[in-house]
Amino acid sequence: MIIKIEKIQHLMGFFLILFTVSLVQAEEQKTRMVTEQAMPETARQVVEQFQSVLLDVMKQGQALGFQGRFDKLAPAITQSHDLTKIARIAVGREWKKLADDQQQELVDQFIKMSISAYAYNFKAYDNELFEFVSQEETARGGIIIHSIFKIPDDKDVKFDYMMKKKGDSWKIINVIANGVSDLALRRSEYTSMLKRQGFEALIAKIIEKTENYAK
Amino acid sequence: MRLNQENLTMKTRFLLAFVLFSSLLLGGCASKDVVDSSAEGAVIEPGAELVEDERDPYESFNRKVYSFNNQVDTYVAKPVSDAYLWVTPTLVQTGIANFFSNLKEINVVINDTLQGKFKQGAEDTGRFAVNSTIGLLGIFDVATELGLEKNEEDFAQTLAVWGVPQGSYLVLPFIGPTTSRGIPGSVFDTAANPTTYVGFPVQLVSMLNTRANAEGALNFIDEAALDPYVFTRESFLQHRKFLITDGESEATDDALDLESEFYEDDELLETESENVIETTTQKTEPESKKNSDDVEELNAVSDYEQSKAELEKATLEYRAVSKELEAVQQ
Repeated sequence: MIIKIEKIQHLMGFFLILFTVSLVQAEEQKTRMVTEQAMPETARQVVEQFQSVLLDVMKQGQALGFQGRFDKLAPAITQSHDLTKIARIAVGREWKKLADDQQQELVDQFIKMSISAYAYNFKAYDNELFEFVSQEETARGGIIIHSIFKIPDDKDVKFDYMMKKKGDSWKIINVIANGVSDLALRRSEYTSMLKRQGFEALIAKIIEKTENYAK
Repeated sequence: MRLNQENLTMKTRFLLAFVLFSSLLLGGCASKDVVDSSAEGAVIEPGAELVEDERDPYESFNRKVYSFNNQVDTYVAKPVSDAYLWVTPTLVQTGIANFFSNLKEINVVINDTLQGKFKQGAEDTGRFAVNSTIGLLGIFDVATELGLEKNEEDFAQTLAVWGVPQGSYLVLPFIGPTTSRGIPGSVFDTAANPTTYVGFPVQLVSMLNTRANAEGALNFIDEAALDPYVFTRESFLQHRKFLITDGESEATDDALDLESEFYEDDELLETESENVIETTTQKTEPESKKNSDDVEELNAVSDYEQSKAELEKATLEYRAVSKELEAVQQ
């Protein structure tokens, strides 16, 4: 007897890519970005600059090694994402029940895991391409950047970035890959774990994942 | 999403009983408390402590089936699949995957038609014709090369398009994640797949192929998931929704709800910082200043959005009608 996992098979193909996000169009923009490190103006620029770093890291993936990729990605991810806020929303109403030091630990470990996940998954380049499709404004005043991840000899993956203005700059608050919202996924996991097993178990699991990525 | 309770129709109950029975038979993993908790799941009101997710009222039961399936996978399916992947050259694997995928194309065309997607139906018919002939019985996916992209349609999606509610999330022994709506869907899909009617060896290869294709994704779950059960459920349900809407570009309500929480959280922080009397200027984000006026305002906003959407719809309809009128008058 063999499991027939047909149902989840399709959605799983792109899980691989869920973190294997994005790339950018213009080479010049990439090099300019690396040298200038200028604050991107528009929501679209924030996304595209982040994607260009990812593309870069993928291209040099093997040479850099895990730690090299981590170091390169860390500033790009923390600048383009509002990770503190994401961590907070990911635990939902449970956030308020956590002590201050617990909140801080959660945020710290969450950021570490997020960067590690990218560093682990973005290790190779196979002529993938990232294309901007459109931009949508939300009722709340946010922006959604719709883009497509093109993989040679495979189906395109839709990547939507939910953006929120923080101070003067736009920050990514959620990534939606082929309809699967990263934040919703995390939120379900985190709130479920907090309820079932408690804070310590959640943190232990996050640390375990982070360590496994680095192996 | 609030359908679970109403949706416990006779059919669902019957299916549940069936699932329960089969798991008792197959897994021996069901214990007394499985029966108790799943029966309770139907009665408990949403929001009650035991029900964590209203889409998954049978969670404790589902979790047991999930871990049973995992055991079967670890000790049977994965080893066989690994052997298959090791023995078979990649080129052959692709050919086999294409072959079975092509047989499913018949079902895709049927469901295109049932959903009224006639243009896509014609394209998918073209895909099947091209791949079955030039593609040597589907072994080569020539159609994609010619620009006819593969579409994913199945009967569960058709049921959704027809307005059948999703129902509860269920994990079936040997089959995996589905919903109350997915079960009749799978029955139909199986009936419309030629593989069902051929001999055992072909079906075995088909199963191997399915498991082998899922290898990367299953590994990904292992790597990324803190709680693989929840991870699988969440991504399954979300991706099904994506398929039903054919990945329409607008943001989903769920995503927008999450977005709203960011703004509400800002407002909350704002209020909190106001309460802290005369402390040094807290970091406040400019856009959150506009409405720190609590829940009522939020409700008003969402009401407003709703009525705005309705108004837009009405305007469109009005325009269409007035155009017709003009045409008639002329």
